[in-house]
Amino acid sequence: MNDILLEIKDLHASAGDKEILRGVNLEIGRGEIHAVMGPNGAGKSTLSSVLTGKPEYTVTQGSIEFMGQDLLAMKPEERAWAGIFMSFQYPIEIPGVSITNFMKTAINSKRKAQGIEPMKAADFLRLMKEKMALVQMKPEFAKREVNVGFSGGEKKRNEIFQMAMLDPTLAILDETDSGLDVDALKIVADGVKALHSPEKSAIIITHYQKLLEYVRPDVVHVLKAGRIVATGGYEIVDKIENEGFEQF
Amino acid sequence: MKALNSSNMGGRSMNIQMRESEGAIHGKKGTVDHGNYVEVPVVCGPGVKEIASGEHIHEVFVVGPDGTQASLPSGIVVGEAATADIIFIVLPGVKQDIPLTVDLVGEGSTVHLAGIYLCSGNDHVTFDITMNHRVGHCVSRQVFNGLAANASKAEFFGRIVVAPDAQKTEAYQENHNVVLSDNAHVNTKPRLEIYADDVKCSHGATVGRLDEDAQFYMESRGIPEDEAKVLQMISFVAPVLEYAPEADREALATRVEDAIRHLSSV
Ligand SMILES: Nc1ncnc2c1ncn2[C@@H]1O[C@H](COP(=O)(O)OP(=O)(O)OP(=O)(O)O)[C@@H](O)[C@H]1O
Ligand SMILES: [Mg+2]
Repeated sequence: MNDILLEIKDLHASAGDKEILRGVNLEIGRGEIHAVMGPNGAGKSTLSSVLTGKPEYTVTQGSIEFMGQDLLAMKPEERAWAGIFMSFQYPIEIPGVSITNFMKTAINSKRKAQGIEPMKAADFLRLMKEKMALVQMKPEFAKREVNVGFSGGEKKRNEIFQMAMLDPTLAILDETDSGLDVDALKIVADGVKALHSPEKSAIIITHYQKLLEYVRPDVVHVLKAGRIVATGGYEIVDKIENEGFEQF
Repeated sequence: MKALNSSNMGGRSMNIQMRESEGAIHGKKGTVDHGNYVEVPVVCGPGVKEIASGEHIHEVFVVGPDGTQASLPSGIVVGEAATADIIFIVLPGVKQDIPLTVDLVGEGSTVHLAGIYLCSGNDHVTFDITMNHRVGHCVSRQVFNGLAANASKAEFFGRIVVAPDAQKTEAYQENHNVVLSDNAHVNTKPRLEIYADDVKCSHGATVGRLDEDAQFYMESRGIPEDEAKVLQMISFVAPVLEYAPEADREALATRVEDAIRHLSSV
């Protein structure tokens, strides 16, 4: 009954000649929320980058299937069109490109790839307004250059706003909760929950319990030195909180 | 004489840069040597435009493969309390030297020179600009941004000369370049020759590539590779269009965008 959305098998990936992922196996069913925890430098962001196709990483072994497709054969934009979204640990600034133009181009590129005509301007603006409200972003942000001059928390909120706009099937949140104040964390958590549905899955990478308390994950993994060394339920979060990563 | 042609790294927060040079002089008594200034005659001849005292001009020169609608001035002589705003748009398919000498001969004037150059194929575009502040109390500002694709070559020689008596001068120059291929060449040489001591002058020059992180960020949102490049290129040259007359701005932006789209598909 549980159909598999994402299947990672024996994934090895390197940057230059440094092997970072050393045999990752991970299966995510449709509708599931998985948490990935692990010490600094374990390879969590690398895993997210490999899933989204960042060119600096080379997959040397293993496979990734997303909804039955060979993900590794797809370009980053094709993965986005297929429904993958990553909230960046360190969102990138794009000087000279407004959030509105950025999102319009993103949405219409996908529509074009699918043979659908561009979204009507009025519909697009309505969608922008609705999704900005969801993460309580002030309307003036629509005109601002993407992430330029944003505070750390504003950048993270902008990531969740983009996620809301693009409506992904698989959302990967790479430390979206880091650097958020308590209220912003609540807003982001509510946003993530509101966007979740039985057809959609999420991978939540975090160092903190707080976000996971709001968005209860179905499965918790521990990634250490490029491998998943433990998988279980919410009890793992408590174990990490009490005893750290040494035990794994 | 203080000729400034430095190449100190760091400082500006442009994330496209590979190398840059930057310098600034703020007037401080006693820091400038008054020797060596050689006064050359004010430009004259058929290609020279004279801007009378109190006159204001705002002109756009679009240089395309079929030439320019109006012939380019080789010199501009600016009288008192006048303004000259000139913007050059050099489209792909051009091989041309664009020499221009500006002589500021009356106080209280302002000159803006702006330019966008989009070089592709075997294009070769050279801007050779001399900004002569002969009298004081004038402001000059130069902003040139260009792209070099394929095996093209773009050069920018920008000289600012501030005469010993040209006190209270403000002279600024920015030249930024993006190289789009390994076979493209950019040469940028700013040169400040300041003989007066109470002035504000600066220049900044960069040569860089498109930002790979921005590129991946856009692609990860579903913007195809070429479109993401186009967005980066447009946003790189767009600030220069602010110097165009408002009435022409949108049409120019469209022409520039079309040219950039063509660039990225060759
Ligand atoms: N492009 C790269 N070149 C060289 N080394 C890299 C590169 N990317 C990542 N690494 C290294 O790989 C290891 C894993 O990095 P990664 O960013 O995936 O860790 P992480 O688990 O996300 O850590 P954190 O919790 O600190 O965010 C680190 O040692 C990092 O320095
Ligand atoms: Mg990380």
